[in-house]
Amino acid sequence: MAVMTYIDAINAALHEEMERDPQVFVIGEDIGRMGGAFRATKGLLDKFGSERVIDSPLSESAIISSSIGAAMAGLRPVPEIQFVDFITPAMDAITQQAAKLRYRSAGTQTCPMTIRVCYGGGVGGGLYHSQSNTSWFVHCPGLVVVAPSTPYDAKGLLKAAIRDDNPVMFFEHKKLYRSIKEEIPDADYTVPLLKAAIRRQGTDITAISYGYTLQPTLQAAEQMKKKHGIDVEVVDLRILAPLDTDTFLESVAKTSRAVIIHEDNRTLGIGAEVSAIIAEQAFDCLDAPILRVTAPDVPLLPAAAEMEKFCVVSVEKIVTALERTMAH
Amino acid sequence: MMATANDLIGNVQPNGSDEQHSERLDATLLRRLYAYMLKCRIVEERIRTLYRQGKFAGNYFAAVGQEATSVGTTLDLLPEDTVAPSHRNFVANIMKGTPLPLMFAHLYGRKASPDQGRSAPAHCGYAPLNIITPSSTIAAQLSIGTGIALSNKMQHKQNVVVALSGEGSTSLGSWHEAVNFAGVLKLPIIFVIENNGYAESLPASMQTAVEDFSIKAQGYGIPGARVDGNDVIAVYTSMRDAIDRARSGAGATLLECKTYRWYGHSEIDGAKYRDPTEVENWMSRDPIPAMERRLKPDNLWSEQWKEELTAGFNREIDEAIAFAERSPSPQGDEALDHVYSFSIRERELDRKTWAPKYELSI
Repeated sequence: MAVMTYIDAINAALHEEMERDPQVFVIGEDIGRMGGAFRATKGLLDKFGSERVIDSPLSESAIISSSIGAAMAGLRPVPEIQFVDFITPAMDAITQQAAKLRYRSAGTQTCPMTIRVCYGGGVGGGLYHSQSNTSWFVHCPGLVVVAPSTPYDAKGLLKAAIRDDNPVMFFEHKKLYRSIKEEIPDADYTVPLLKAAIRRQGTDITAISYGYTLQPTLQAAEQMKKKHGIDVEVVDLRILAPLDTDTFLESVAKTSRAVIIHEDNRTLGIGAEVSAIIAEQAFDCLDAPILRVTAPDVPLLPAAAEMEKFCVVSVEKIVTALERTMAH
Repeated sequence: MMATANDLIGNVQPNGSDEQHSERLDATLLRRLYAYMLKCRIVEERIRTLYRQGKFAGNYFAAVGQEATSVGTTLDLLPEDTVAPSHRNFVANIMKGTPLPLMFAHLYGRKASPDQGRSAPAHCGYAPLNIITPSSTIAAQLSIGTGIALSNKMQHKQNVVVALSGEGSTSLGSWHEAVNFAGVLKLPIIFVIENNGYAESLPASMQTAVEDFSIKAQGYGIPGARVDGNDVIAVYTSMRDAIDRARSGAGATLLECKTYRWYGHSEIDGAKYRDPTEVENWMSRDPIPAMERRLKPDNLWSEQWKEELTAGFNREIDEAIAFAERSPSPQGDEALDHVYSFSIRERELDRKTWAPKYELSI
């Protein structure tokens, strides 16, 4: 066992998968000589050489499109998009090509590719280094969308994604990279790609989140216990598409109350979908309206500290929503 | 300083005074070039008839008039070589060897189609022969093609990628990103600009401020050439050189083939935006009779041979149509298949309802 940060876990997963399978390669901006903007690909160039660690021209479209072609031809590319804010030039490649290739060829042409992408705010990054945009991809059948919340999951899910035969969007929160540590087994392991996790057992109310906002959600759950003696069950979605609906529906069937927390915009965010599924499939279980704690519907995130604070999810905002739901 | 335009290679004239080629090609090869052009023409004209008869739905994008380019750029590709086609390259399937019955099953949206009825009629790919299933977003296939070329290079394979697109595609950023990427990484890919004069209704002169599309290669450090796209020998020999270059590891080439789209953008476009004289002029430069003029003096062509070929192709087409017509359509719920490597049927069809944790007792 070794204690690893989230970024260490990602780096270790890349090293191990490239050692395990010669078909795996990485490509992206500044990922080779520099080791990546956040050093996620550190050491790969020295170990695996420039054929498998490709410093690409500054072209998100070409990075993703060429990865799609390479995946079709039998390789397992792991392209990196430095910030999800820069992913728009590659949207055709991701949503029209990668997502539909299997479908439009009835399974005869496939795209086993894992797009690593850094997302999330709360670090003063401003409008173009803070976005989440997870819902853009959740709305696109054919893509698996993964957003790990812990170092253990980051490593295990990344390894599972690289071995998976579908195109995977792998969302890494920049604020988690160096802020959390966890013991990671030395032995090879993967985390199943299509299963949510219960992070805290509880009986009174279900809090559903993923990625970075799981941290304030867990803190809010502790405050609810201390202040009110209320046991919050915390569900970590882990996979945003396709959603593991059973895990949160079973939890809501037990607690009868649900609050959904995410840092992406509210309208048509993942919370809207989770809320609709609960309303459709577990309406009779509910004792209170479902609440969402999200960013407001503004471009994320304004740079000035006060405005950023206003927009991001906080422990206080989550506690307020949990209290309101319990009081109903 | 302005970049200098490339010389036009080859030349088909309306009056038959075509430029003679210095290189002598093998007789069998010359006859194959001709026969494939004739087959592409006959197949596409039949498809257009079937569409007008309402035999299949959707739309079709014919490359009639462009056969010298269609054939010259793809003849003799290996099965392991990839074609990255646009919406107007249905006949790339003929060149690569996709069975004709499957191509017609595709037009008819049948289960037997390579994509089991999912893509639009003109979007026919075929995985066993490495034809990428096309999409409608222009130029997307070029970048995917660069990825396949990248994979060929990484795996030290000698295979090449032929990326086909119209001149309109050069106005998209993704065209330039693909060519730049292939130039930097010296990838085994040939970008073919099929300059057929129009992107839907827009003439090539309104697509770019340069007359010669092939000079765009200079901006990406790869060779560019401009060829008469109605001169099948010129297209073939230029392409052969580009393919040899790619196979030898020397990298990408850009080839512009100047040709003409005889009909509208699609079967629902009457192409009224064109000057009839322009159309007539290009039709008089039909690549098929032009090749006949070249073959005849060497006794490589006769009316009788053409009739035999035509009858044979028509028989093949009749059989393919009969196959398509008796093939079943996919079931509606097959729309749920092949979204992922795993099934989503249960998720979509069996949505269970959760009951309250306790029943109210009265």
